[in-house]
Amino acid sequence: MAREVSIRSIVAPGLSILFMCALIELGAGKVFEEMQGYFTTLLPGLIVMIPPLLGLRGNINGALASRLGTALNAGLIEPRLTLSAEIKVNLTSSLILSIIASAIIGVFAFGVNLLTSAPTIGVLELMVKLIAIAVFAGFLSGLILALLTVFVAVKSYARGWDPDNITSPTMATIGDFVTIACIYLAVLLVV
Amino acid sequence: MAIYRVKRIVLESFPVLTAGIIISLVAGYMLNSSIQKIAELPIILMMIPPINGIGGNIGSILGARLTSALHLGTLEPRLSGQRVLRRNMAASSLVSFIIFSLIGAIFFAFAYVSGIPLARSLSLALAFFIAGIALTAAVIVVTITSAFVSFRGGLDPDNVVIPIVTSVGDVLGVTCLLVAIIIVGV
Repeated sequence: MAREVSIRSIVAPGLSILFMCALIELGAGKVFEEMQGYFTTLLPGLIVMIPPLLGLRGNINGALASRLGTALNAGLIEPRLTLSAEIKVNLTSSLILSIIASAIIGVFAFGVNLLTSAPTIGVLELMVKLIAIAVFAGFLSGLILALLTVFVAVKSYARGWDPDNITSPTMATIGDFVTIACIYLAVLLVV
Repeated sequence: MAIYRVKRIVLESFPVLTAGIIISLVAGYMLNSSIQKIAELPIILMMIPPINGIGGNIGSILGARLTSALHLGTLEPRLSGQRVLRRNMAASSLVSFIIFSLIGAIFFAFAYVSGIPLARSLSLALAFFIAGIALTAAVIVVTITSAFVSFRGGLDPDNVVIPIVTSVGDVLGVTCLLVAIIIVGV
């Protein structure tokens, strides 16, 4: 019989981490709330893009974190903060995916908005603005978070921690906050 | 020589990412449909990252634990007579109950301080709590189903469970929140 699974041994460590994550998510929520004027009056359709942009960021970074963890554990990447060929390939791929997928989100959000509500600004203007915001926010948050992911993965491995256990949860939580902040910045620049 | 190639990573990731985008667009569309309620109570926007984040974390932790137990053989992919499964479900429910109570209390304080009347602040916090509990139940079902189905189908559940749980969790999180707000009558 393998070791017993007690409820307490699952709850106790999970609870403190979850509470920390929840507090950071509250910060992301506060930025989101600050933007409400843009959603309700200034740029209808913008809100449609928020869940996909957040989800995309999590998926691209999660995969990056997972590949880096594997590569570090397998010895394919040296645990040093230098732009080796392997790290460059991983960063480039993440950024290319960020740009293409963010542009797709912009197009889809425009489509959803066109089908479901009467546009308050010109159709072309709305399309350009939504795509510009998605690509700018997707690229900027992608760049910041991909570099942070490399940093966290390499540093945790260098310290003797398994990057598989550290990188994904850390980046998932920081990711939402950084992405919402980048969307807000993009909105301020574009609208 | 480079082991990773940009082309391969981009091409392999693209279908999963597009599927994720389409699923979470549903959540975006639902928010857009509730835009009047959001204009009236912008604090609803503040609730979305926490509910999706907590729901995703609870599902990811449960998913990671179940997939390890399946690989180790301490858990079999069936529902009856599984002590490991029952304990993990109980632990996830307990964690969710505590976290959603705490964050619900924080939302009550935020709402009340921002000038929303006492009764409405309480019902906002209650709606957040109810949405969180409903989301947890749904996330537990999705996690167990995807872990068992992928394991039985010969796929490695490590690759399948977490992307499914986080994408579906985003849509369910927004759904539970908007439905709870209607039911509580905020």
